[in-house]
Amino acid sequence: MDTLLQQLINGLTVGSLYALVALGYTMVYGVMKLINFAHGDLVAFSAYVGLTLFTQFYGSNALTLVNIIIVFTLTAIIVAFVGVLLERLAYRPLRTAPRLSAVVSALGASLVIQNGIMLIWGPNMEIFPANVFPSTSWNFGGVIISFTQLVILALSAVLMVALYLFINKTKMGTAIRATAIDQDAAKLMGINVNRVIMTIFIIGSMLGAIGGLFIGMYYRGLTFDMGWLYGLNAFIAAIIGGIGSIPGAMLGGLLLGLFNALISGYISTEWAETFTFILLIIILIVKPTGLFGENTAEKV
Amino acid sequence: MKLTKIASALALSAAVSTILFAADTVKIGVQAPITGQYANEGQSIENFVRLIADEKNAEGGLLGKQIEVITCDDEAKAQKAAVCAKKLTNAGVIAVIGSYTSGATEAAQTTYYRKKVLQTSDGTSDSLIAKKYWTFFRNSFPNSAQSDFTADYMVKIKKYKKIVVLSDYSSYSEGLGDATEASIKALGGNVIYRGKIKSGTQNFSAILTKIKEMKPDVIYYSGYYTDGGLLRAQQKQLQIDADFVGGDSNDNPDFYKLAGKAAAGTILINFPTPEILPYPEAKKYLAAYKARFKMDPPSIWPVTNADGFRAIIEGVEKTKSFDTKKIAEYIRSMKDFPGITGPFNIREDGERVGAKFVVYKMNNDGTKQVVPE
Repeated sequence: MDTLLQQLINGLTVGSLYALVALGYTMVYGVMKLINFAHGDLVAFSAYVGLTLFTQFYGSNALTLVNIIIVFTLTAIIVAFVGVLLERLAYRPLRTAPRLSAVVSALGASLVIQNGIMLIWGPNMEIFPANVFPSTSWNFGGVIISFTQLVILALSAVLMVALYLFINKTKMGTAIRATAIDQDAAKLMGINVNRVIMTIFIIGSMLGAIGGLFIGMYYRGLTFDMGWLYGLNAFIAAIIGGIGSIPGAMLGGLLLGLFNALISGYISTEWAETFTFILLIIILIVKPTGLFGENTAEKV
Repeated sequence: MKLTKIASALALSAAVSTILFAADTVKIGVQAPITGQYANEGQSIENFVRLIADEKNAEGGLLGKQIEVITCDDEAKAQKAAVCAKKLTNAGVIAVIGSYTSGATEAAQTTYYRKKVLQTSDGTSDSLIAKKYWTFFRNSFPNSAQSDFTADYMVKIKKYKKIVVLSDYSSYSEGLGDATEASIKALGGNVIYRGKIKSGTQNFSAILTKIKEMKPDVIYYSGYYTDGGLLRAQQKQLQIDADFVGGDSNDNPDFYKLAGKAAAGTILINFPTPEILPYPEAKKYLAAYKARFKMDPPSIWPVTNADGFRAIIEGVEKTKSFDTKKIAEYIRSMKDFPGITGPFNIREDGERVGAKFVVYKMNNDGTKQVVPE
């Protein structure tokens, strides 16, 4: 029993990370019908930015809550800036071009960011400082939750609720939803589509940045090509949930994390990835729009 | 018409290559992971080769020719390794040092064999010498030697009752894991679980949670430090009360950084690390390395590759020729060539023989000490 619970906790933690990253994919797709393949690499980039900032703060004094908040905020801003830049340079010029051009551009952007990371931080594995959060963990009758895990679970939940409220309750959220349904009609209604797209890139990149920081804190070893791993999983999560749907991305991420943990724990670690793809294929056959496909009008 | 064009092109290229060969250099290839997960090992292999080549060049070169080092980055990937093999053989190298991983070494082996280019690698997978290519010889010791030593330590000395053996999917790690499992069973030890992880996936909590349920005495991991450090950290985080024994490739400063405080108490099985090598050549070359590159080699592997290169140089000088067949025969006949990593003896099939291993225990502060047996 406690083994099962432990696997669930492990799965939820990884799942939250996937969900945070998947939101970036799904929002961009929802509005622009574009798969931003560079998103995973932005996540890797944020982990590196966080690493640099943390080591800067470590130099002089011990890490305090204030420092942690500053690092999170700074990283989110820097990554959001790169995200917007990405949109300006790689996607905006191609907005009316055939969709394939944008996909190729996205793949190119992914390589540029990946190699950029390699040039700035080097090809070797970089290691995130160990004690950003206290290494405390709690043991509930054999089930262990670490402080880092708790922060990841709690903060991810808060961010997701906040995003949900933002999309559904604010004026900008309404504009985003309207643009997702029909860009031209939205323009006619006086919505500034460029600003909407910029906003989703900012939000998506910031969520990805938080995800990247968490990945750094939880797993510690950073490689310049790690974005691919998280990008792919988050992309699958977004498809499972129904790409374009925000609750879908959240649920898809959590489900994928749990699915992976349970397959690894009870069937075979070796086959976990294969089963993930089998799940993906089944979903694409049975319900191609993903779990939340039907509920949203803006689906393709 | 077409044929004559091709023929003339061939003649021209033949002429060009004769001119190239006539130039006053002898080319030595380095095939190593210069980027990617194992970049610091690969870069150090290149550093060592350049250090020794420059030293030789300053003395007047090899049989009067300057040594030209050509490096190809295989990123520790088999596909890239095959490309490197083509690139280096086309460039006209007589010998190739590397690669670091068995997989990348194996992928390039046949090309070097066909082109009669010598190859020496620290890859420890037993499969590397299975083909018995005369062009290949190993500069480190095979998995089978290490697995016997490891099994002996775990079963006879530590008397572990429940042993978990983990590896990744690389030919080195899987080979060492399988060999260790076999050696443990041969000694009557009890392997309760043999699992594999996918290198680079970072999240090992699922498999560790499964292992926790089995209440093992020890987890043995035969992969590389990049995953080993994380495995150890996540083992401690899940409060799995078992010893952690790591195979040689876990012995890297980055293991401590990844594992953090959890590194304490980890047991590593490896060759003597560079700094405790008792040989005079070791003192000389390691000091020269440190003076030039401002750091120590990250592990023993670049040092064994340096020995492989030194053996080739010795072969050229003793046979007074660049005929790779003669050099290979000479290397196989050498008796106790004074290597940086100890006496260097190569068996007929290319195996390095006479392995010595040590057991290390990691301390809290990122240092390690040799455990007396």
